[in-house]
Amino acid sequence: MTFFPSSSVFFQVVINGILLGCMYGIAAIGLSLIFGTMRIIFLAQGAVMILAAYCIYWLVTLTPIDPLFGFLLILPVFLGFGWLMYKGFFQRVAKAGENPSLLLAFGLMVLLQQLMSMIWTADVRAVKTTYAMSSIPLGDINISISRLIVAVVALIATGLVFLFLKKTMLGKAVRGASEDMGTAALLGISPIRVSAATFAIGIALAGVAGVATCITYPFDPYFGFLFSLKALIAVAFGGLGSVGGALLGGIILGLLESLSAYLISPGWADAVAYAAFLLILILRPEGLLGRRTIEKA
Amino acid sequence: MIRADVSKQKKNYLIGLILVCFFIIFPFLVDAETSYTVYFFYTAFLYIILAQGWNLVAGYAGQVSLGQHAFFGLGCYVTAITWRAGITGYLDPVAMLMSGVGAAIVAIAIGLPLLAKLRGAYFALGTLGLGEILRVVALNGGSFTEGPSGISISSSVYLSMRHYYFIALLIVLITLLFVWFIMQSRTGLALVAIREDETAAAANGIAVLKYKIFAFAGGAFVTGLAGSLNAYYTFHTHTAGAFNLNWVIIPILMVILGGIGTFVGPIVGAFVLLAVFELTSLLTPELHPLFTAAFIIVVTLFLPGGIMSYITGRKDMILRKLSPFKWLFQKT
Repeated sequence: MTFFPSSSVFFQVVINGILLGCMYGIAAIGLSLIFGTMRIIFLAQGAVMILAAYCIYWLVTLTPIDPLFGFLLILPVFLGFGWLMYKGFFQRVAKAGENPSLLLAFGLMVLLQQLMSMIWTADVRAVKTTYAMSSIPLGDINISISRLIVAVVALIATGLVFLFLKKTMLGKAVRGASEDMGTAALLGISPIRVSAATFAIGIALAGVAGVATCITYPFDPYFGFLFSLKALIAVAFGGLGSVGGALLGGIILGLLESLSAYLISPGWADAVAYAAFLLILILRPEGLLGRRTIEKA
Repeated sequence: MIRADVSKQKKNYLIGLILVCFFIIFPFLVDAETSYTVYFFYTAFLYIILAQGWNLVAGYAGQVSLGQHAFFGLGCYVTAITWRAGITGYLDPVAMLMSGVGAAIVAIAIGLPLLAKLRGAYFALGTLGLGEILRVVALNGGSFTEGPSGISISSSVYLSMRHYYFIALLIVLITLLFVWFIMQSRTGLALVAIREDETAAAANGIAVLKYKIFAFAGGAFVTGLAGSLNAYYTFHTHTAGAFNLNWVIIPILMVILGGIGTFVGPIVGAFVLLAVFELTSLLTPELHPLFTAAFIIVVTLFLPGGIMSYITGRKDMILRKLSPFKWLFQKT
C-alpha cells in the first residue's frame, strides 16, 4: 500500500481538516478569552454551543428563515445571555477562586444538558439547509458549501474579536486585565466590567460556534462536552489567552484529526490529537503563539 | 489551650473509631444482599477512595489533576486482563495490588515530564489528555482489551455483597490512614508548602518534583485499587465504563463540596453528594440530573469554601454576615 494513494484525496482530507478546525477555532477563541481574563476553565462552553444549535433548530422548523440569519440573531441574544450568566453566577463565585468556578461551570453544563434534553428530547437532531449537500468543485477536490460558510464565519469572528481587542478602549482594558488583573485594577480598570464583557463575548462566540455546528453536523444535548474538550485542546495548542492562537490551534487540531483518521485509522484520530496535545504542553507550554512571559502558575 | 486541643483530638479519634465500628457491624444488622443501604455505603466507599486520592494531589499538593479516570480505568483493565488470563483469581489481593502499583508506575512515568514542566491549568489539561489517550488505546487494543465490547467475565464466581462491602471499607481505611500519616509527617508539610508557594518551597530546600510525584503516584495508587474493585464488582470492563469522565468529575465535586485540602471534607462531600444523587433519583427519577446540577450551582454560589469550611468557620461567618448591623450592638 502506498502511503499517499492520490494527491487529490490527500488535499481533500487537508481541506476538510482545515474547515473542521475552523469550527473548533471559534469555540476555542471564546474559551481562551474567558480563561485569559478570569482564569476559569469554562467547561460549559460546549453545552452553550449546543443550546445555540437548538435555538437555530427551532428557528428553522418554526419559521422559513435560513439558518444563516441565525448568526445575526444568536450574536446579540447570546451576548446578553453571557452577561447575565456572569452577573448572576460568576461575579459572585470568581471571588472565591478557581475551584468553585470550575465546579460552577460543570454544574451549568449539566443543567443546560438536562434542560435541553427535557425541552428537545435526547434524540439526535439535524438542521436541514438547501445547500447541505452542495459543494464547489475545485479541480479534483470538492469544498462543501456549509463547511466553507463555517470557515468564513470563523475568520470574521476572529477578525472582529481582534479588532475589538486592538481598537476599542474596552478591548484594551480586557488585554490589560488578562496581562495582570491587579495592576489593571490599580490603573482604574474595573475587573467586574472587563470580566462581564469578556464573558459575554465568550458566550456569544460559543453561540456562533453552535450555529456553525448545527449546519454541518447532527447533534444531541450531550454532544457539547466533546466540543468543550476539543476547544480546550485547541486553546492549549495556540496558547491560553491568545486569540489568533486559538483559531490556529483549532485548525491544527482539525488537520491532525482528519489526517490521522485518513493515514492511520479513524479509531486512532483522537489518540493522535491528544498525544500531540500532551507533547505541545510538555515542549512548549505557552502554546505555539503564546508569549514566553505568560504566567504558568 | 494545648490541653483543649488534645482533648478535642481525642474526641475526633473516638468519633472515627465509633464510625468504623458502626460500618463494620452494619452489614450484619441487615440483609446485605438486598439492602439498599449496604449498596449505598459501598458506592460511597468507592467514591471516598477516589475523592481522597484526588484530595491528596489537588487539595494538599495543589496539583489539580483531571486524569484520575486514567488510573481508575487502568486499575479496571489490569485486574480484568490478569483475571481473564487466569494469572489471578476472583477478588485476588495480588491483582488489586498489581492494579494499584500499575497505576502508580504510569503516574510516575507521566508525572516526571508533566509535573516538571507544567503548572496549574496546564497540568490539569495535560492529565485530561492522558486519560483520553488511555481510553482510545483501550478502545483500539484488539484482542488484548477486546475493544469497545470490553472484557466480560462470568459472574458465576460471585460470592456476596458483604465481600465487596468489606474490601471497599478496607481500602477506604488504608487510603485514609495513608493520607493521614502523610499529612502528619514532614512530607505533608512539604506538600502544603508546595501548594502555597512553589518557589518559596524550592528555595527552602524542598525537592519539589519528588514530593509532587509522590503525591501524584500515591493518589494514583489508591485510585487504581478502587478501579480494581470496580472490575470485580461489574464483571464487565469496557472503555465507556472504566475510563468514564465521571470517575474524575464526581470525586472532584465531592472534594470541593466537602472542603478541598481538609481531611474530613472528601468523606463528608462523598456522602452528601451521593445522598443528593440517590434521593433525587428516588423522588423524581425524571428530573434527578436537573436537581443535581441545581444543587451543585447553589452550593458553589453560597458555600464556595465547602461544607467543612462552613462548619469550622460558622462562627466567623455569622459574625461577618452581621457586620453591617454591628452598630446595633455597639455602645455609642
